[in-house]
Amino acid sequence: MSGKQNVYEINLDLPDEKLLELSRKIGIGLSLDEMKSVRNYFREQGRNPTDIEIQAIGQAWSEHCCYKSSKSLLKKFIFNIEAPQNIFVIKEDAGVVEFDKDYAYVLALESHNHPSAVEPYGGAATGIGGILRDVVCMGAQPVALIDPIFFGPLDLPYDQLPKGVKHPEFIFRGVVAGIRDYGNRVGIPTVSGSVYFHPGYTGNCLVNVGCVGIIKKDDIIHSRVKELGDIFVMVGGRTGRDGIHGVNFASAELDEESETSSRSAVQVGDPITKEPLIHACLEANTKKLLNGMKDLGGGGLSCVVGEMAHAGGFGAKVNLEKVLLKEKGMKPWEIWVSESQERMMLAVSKANLQTVLDIFDKWDVDAAVIGETISERRVLVYYEGEKIFDMDSEFLTGGPVYARDVKVVKKDQKDVKTQAPKDINDILIKMLSDPNIASKDWVILQYDHTVRGSTSLTPLYGDVVNFSPQDSAIVKPVEELNKGLVISTAVNPFLLEYDPYWGAASAIDEIYRNIVAVGGRPHSLADCLNFGNPEKPERFGDFYQAVMGLNFATKDLKISFSSGNVSLYNESMIGSCPPTPTIVGIGIIDDVEKKVSSNFKKEGNSIYLIGKTEREFGGSLYYRIIGVEGGIAPKMDPQNLINYSNALLSSMEKGIVTSCHDLSEGGLAVAVVEMAFGSDYGAIIDLPLFKDMRADEFIFSESNTRWVVEVKDEKAFESLLNKNNVPYMKIGKVSGRKLEIKQNGSKIIDAPIEKLREKWKNAIWEHMG
Amino acid sequence: MPFGSIWGDSMDRSEIKVCVLRIEGTNNEDEMYYAFKRLGASPELVHLKDLKDIFDYNCLMIPGGFSAGDYVRAGAIFASRIRAKIANDLHRFIDEGWPVGGICNGFQVLVELGVLPGFKRMDYPDACLFLNNSARFECRPTLLKHENKGKCVFTRNIPKGEIMLVPSAHGEGKLLLPREKEQEYFDRLFENDQVVFRYVDKEGEYAGYPWNPNGSAHNIAGICNEAGNVFGMMPHPERAYFDKNKNGISGMNVFESVLKYIEEK
Repeated sequence: MSGKQNVYEINLDLPDEKLLELSRKIGIGLSLDEMKSVRNYFREQGRNPTDIEIQAIGQAWSEHCCYKSSKSLLKKFIFNIEAPQNIFVIKEDAGVVEFDKDYAYVLALESHNHPSAVEPYGGAATGIGGILRDVVCMGAQPVALIDPIFFGPLDLPYDQLPKGVKHPEFIFRGVVAGIRDYGNRVGIPTVSGSVYFHPGYTGNCLVNVGCVGIIKKDDIIHSRVKELGDIFVMVGGRTGRDGIHGVNFASAELDEESETSSRSAVQVGDPITKEPLIHACLEANTKKLLNGMKDLGGGGLSCVVGEMAHAGGFGAKVNLEKVLLKEKGMKPWEIWVSESQERMMLAVSKANLQTVLDIFDKWDVDAAVIGETISERRVLVYYEGEKIFDMDSEFLTGGPVYARDVKVVKKDQKDVKTQAPKDINDILIKMLSDPNIASKDWVILQYDHTVRGSTSLTPLYGDVVNFSPQDSAIVKPVEELNKGLVISTAVNPFLLEYDPYWGAASAIDEIYRNIVAVGGRPHSLADCLNFGNPEKPERFGDFYQAVMGLNFATKDLKISFSSGNVSLYNESMIGSCPPTPTIVGIGIIDDVEKKVSSNFKKEGNSIYLIGKTEREFGGSLYYRIIGVEGGIAPKMDPQNLINYSNALLSSMEKGIVTSCHDLSEGGLAVAVVEMAFGSDYGAIIDLPLFKDMRADEFIFSESNTRWVVEVKDEKAFESLLNKNNVPYMKIGKVSGRKLEIKQNGSKIIDAPIEKLREKWKNAIWEHMG
Repeated sequence: MPFGSIWGDSMDRSEIKVCVLRIEGTNNEDEMYYAFKRLGASPELVHLKDLKDIFDYNCLMIPGGFSAGDYVRAGAIFASRIRAKIANDLHRFIDEGWPVGGICNGFQVLVELGVLPGFKRMDYPDACLFLNNSARFECRPTLLKHENKGKCVFTRNIPKGEIMLVPSAHGEGKLLLPREKEQEYFDRLFENDQVVFRYVDKEGEYAGYPWNPNGSAHNIAGICNEAGNVFGMMPHPERAYFDKNKNGISGMNVFESVLKYIEEK
């Protein structure tokens, strides 16, 4: 191989330890066994690989690209759950699910964790960029963005910050700014998300990002070539040295050198290239000019060309010098694996080529013809006429699959007897000031959540300037239909840390509750499974238990995972992140005008609690606040979840329910006061005596499958719930401007809403303002 | 184009052609398009590159977004590209009384073009929409009081004193006037009936943050030119289309007003 084109032969005829060293040195992170099978392959070919070939294998076989640790478990327990509404799911960049007879919605969810830990602003911004492309490459118009994000504690003292780790406040500020600047500029509303602070995220923050799109069923396009002679047209941003080895970086633990060694793995985002790129791609697609479309994400050209050709049953020939570059002097292997942003690959027939190029020219978006399909199932790459890459696509895209060792650590969970606290008011105030409960308006109001003019329920909604947090957002995606997409996200890392199985099942319960709370019928799910190093059996044991919990909770619900992503190696020198299976849920509401929001509506209306309250305090906010360890983790029963939800939805359809909020962290007390925050009112709650629980335990329990509802017609409501055997309790009424909770006449909480609101509103501003 | 003189005749709604102008980064064009479409007019999404003759249209609208990324100053790049392409035509279009409207980034563009507040004909800005007092982009509902006595062609259909809930979403929405002429300019705005919308609280009072989300002097949210046919506002009536207040008024009335004006022109 000549050095003329900057391509070099890599000698694999090496002893084992040298082979592993080579893998590290060239930055591809393959294991010894993987390096050996690469060596065997090239021995059969009778030659050594070129640098570009071995780099391509390093991309395709990374955990990030081929899911080698998680694939077998996911196939068995997550992706086999059937749901009739699915059009096609899991196989491509995003799931496609039926919306109505003519339209489908597209759902994608991903992580951008490691880039955000090293470069919070760019990492988070390009996370949005990537998820938008996943939706656009199905041919869909993005209509909503979702951002669940997780950080270390904001008040972490600087002397406790490990070397090479950035302060959580700095990362939080940068991530929110990145999401804001990219999402707002590209003009897709960020309507849902969550923010968590937990010491386990200090060394490795999590930045998950989801997107929902809408598409006419006729316009759905696949991420594959269609026929022989299809031309590869690369469109959008130019290719540079940013984002080299991103997938390998994502498939290893972070260490104190990550800042210096991996900075170049983070890409640079440009929303003002993306915005016209989306228009041009969708215009070309709706005019039926494209045979296939796929985004360039992890692994860059290296992954996209092989995967598109292979999925279509063909091979590909690429002329690499045709790729438009940001800078001179890039080596061919760098061009091949670069993860520069804002790029898409189109497969176009010769007859349509000029029309497609004209569309991109109109939008001032670069487009370059870089190759074509060939009948032989190989990928051939030429650089200025010289062949520098020749591999069969089966080998390249067929990464290894592992059955990792699983070690399940079972905690013995026992009920704990605690002392009755003296001042329950004070506990409620501490809860409301906890950054995990406190108002996230510092974040949410920086995101444009009303752009596109289709947001029917915003994430914060209430009385003009006073807001209640809403359990889901609602977007009305099609002009001529009143139907809406209900969008929500759920996961409680504290609960998952305590019990990965029931924690994961609870996340499903919560997403279901969230969707039902606004009047939506749950319809499909996406998961982003963020865990530690799968090569450590205990970590993989957490993964295994969470997957089993998701399977248990989901298999009877008739909704399924339409899209998903696994992010492993979320681990730094101070340990793994808590198990974090982020769940995004989509529901359908037939008429967005029938939405139910969480803020109280009218003085005098009755307040009910739906569901059963148990002594379930394992992983609860209450025990964290009073410093008690142990307790039983909340369980859930999928059948109860379905029954209670159906009854609640019928009462909403009848128009008897005027507001509704699900119970999660902080239980009943936090839910009721949040409903008051977005209104001019307070509430009087009067509880009976309970056999097995004190009043403080009752109001702070985190049992699943419960909602608080404000009702205007008690008789109709009670008879509907009785008929469906749904447990409920009338607990009080909307009244005054205070929160009063009494048991058997004696007050346990008595505080003005204004004072509680101030604590709740200021907690995050005090750090970030 | 079979588009003869429409002067003197009353126009049919469906004949009214609205140019929704865009460049890269303009991203509120779909909701603007539908705002007119729902009322029976004929809006068109037009890329500035493809704009042939502004006089093919009866109304020019500049939607919100982040045109060209807002990287120099909000709206500045879009404004200079409009000026380079159609400066003279635009002035003539305005002089002939055709309506020109800008929402959010579109308002910033009209100010950068110098056509708002438009005290005299000029090709450079005479005001600016400056960084919010909070120094950050904020997306929140705002209450607007309609204050125009009838000059603004975009709000003639809305009774004076009406209060409506309209979402705001901007980082640079504070109307600033040249310091040495500030008092004079504000006086002229009020005397000329150029003030259209002002931020208020639930009681209709001119209140501070967060009721006034950006710190704009006199709580000004939207203004028009002296003739009343060029209009800009920061909040988004096209996003509050169906959220009617108790008197049935919503963002829809802004678009209805201008269409009525064109019909009767």
